[in-house]
Amino acid sequence: MLWYKAWLETRARFLASLATLTLFSGIFVHHAQALVRPEWKTDFYRLLFVNQQFLVIMWVLSVVLLGMGGIVREKAVGTSSLTLALPVSRAHLLGVRVGMGVLQASALGVVPWVAVFFLSSLAKRPILINQVFSYVLLLVGGGLVYFAMAVLVSSLVAGEYTAPALAFGVVLLGAIVFDSWLRQFNVWRLVTGDFSIDRSTYLLSAHLPWTGILASLSVAVLMLAVSIIVVQEREF
Amino acid sequence: MKNDPVILTRLLTKSYGNTVAVQDLNLSVGRNRITAFLGRNGAGKSTTIKMLLGMIRPTAGSGTVFGKQITDAEENLELRHRVAYVAEDKPLYGYMTVEQTIRFASSFYPEWCADVEKRLLHDYELPLRRKVKTLSKGMRTKLALLLAFARRPELLILDEPSEGLDPVGIEYLLKVLVARSAEGVSVFFSSHQIAEVERIADHVCILEKGRLLMDASLDQLRQSYRRIDLVFHTPAPECEFRISGVQRIQTSGRQMSVFASENIDAVIERAFDLNAVSVEVAPLGLRDIFLETVKEN
Repeated sequence: MLWYKAWLETRARFLASLATLTLFSGIFVHHAQALVRPEWKTDFYRLLFVNQQFLVIMWVLSVVLLGMGGIVREKAVGTSSLTLALPVSRAHLLGVRVGMGVLQASALGVVPWVAVFFLSSLAKRPILINQVFSYVLLLVGGGLVYFAMAVLVSSLVAGEYTAPALAFGVVLLGAIVFDSWLRQFNVWRLVTGDFSIDRSTYLLSAHLPWTGILASLSVAVLMLAVSIIVVQEREF
Repeated sequence: MKNDPVILTRLLTKSYGNTVAVQDLNLSVGRNRITAFLGRNGAGKSTTIKMLLGMIRPTAGSGTVFGKQITDAEENLELRHRVAYVAEDKPLYGYMTVEQTIRFASSFYPEWCADVEKRLLHDYELPLRRKVKTLSKGMRTKLALLLAFARRPELLILDEPSEGLDPVGIEYLLKVLVARSAEGVSVFFSSHQIAEVERIADHVCILEKGRLLMDASLDQLRQSYRRIDLVFHTPAPECEFRISGVQRIQTSGRQMSVFASENIDAVIERAFDLNAVSVEVAPLGLRDIFLETVKEN
């Protein structure tokens, strides 16, 4: 039933995000032809790459919002004593919340791209399934670090507006700092496919940046581990 | 083991910076009885309860509930299977309906009693389909109590359980608490409603500024505490009555009131020795005992 609670707490945010991302992708692809410029040689795949850029922005915003909440926020709204009196460990509570968030973040990556895949097929512009798979993998595998960061922030900061503001600030600052000085480690570019795209065909390389994805996932796991420690140490 | 206290603390202390919320608390709550935990606002009652349930860590000292160390995360998890807690502000998830809340809570306790749930739902007239956030304070209190009673705990910890209830609801709650206690459930509850406490409690603990001032059975308190009203010919000689057992002396001209917990006979004897015109001895209610105890400190 903790999963049910986690679902009830996040379903509005999740469904709104899912609808937004899917509708955006659908509409974007539907109007793709009108957007294609004459100088683009590989028009449609270039559009898919552009679609991923927009999708990443909205996906990151969504997963950061999904990472908000939890027991620290519950303390601020006064329900933490109900949750903490349950015969469940704090690590378990956080684990369920993270599990639900990861599932939702994955769905937010998969569903819009599946919609793009089917809409493209319907529009007689079928796209390679491996391209869809790669975009989703980059988005979810590389991007979960943003969700983990949001969970960590929400374990440290209770404010309804402070926590998301801080999390978005970290995303923005991270993008600027890494792009300026540590470009090869910039997760944003990893997730958008910037490191993997072939600029002549606008197809993602078959050799995905696994090292980058695994490194990003490792950082995400580390952040979640720190979140567990923070929540276990915290007083309510 | 049957007579072991359900709650036992030794020099339990909690400080927030320079502020001491609970200090050297030695508490022993007996099994199968109703223990009232009294104290003014900010006396440290809720802090103590939160320490018992592992929500906050003691600064010093130790404590056990059912013999499980409250500071050990694993042991605290085990003890929470056996304890039902209703917090002061009756926290509930506003986004759930009454029905969802009950289903959610029942999933954690295999001993959940559907009969109790059904009976309390009927008696409390709780609307199953209503969102918790739309319920009145009284309804929320009733739902919180239902969740606590239906899981059939061995220990009920209630922080201001009657807050928000109407007189009928309070009466029903008191009856349920007495019935649960008779069934072998230990009840540890805090309340500012002394009249309620006096009706159902077997034992009373009074906390003031984080210190335990009193830990005695209600019968013992009733038997030992007396107010002795004295009238003298001349201004009342207060200093003559400062003897062991005298909690407080109130003097107004030739009249004097002595509040004593022991040595009542010695006070009376001294009054006669000092030619008191009138000597009247009256038993003290819990309310007066509480007020005298906290005033004195």
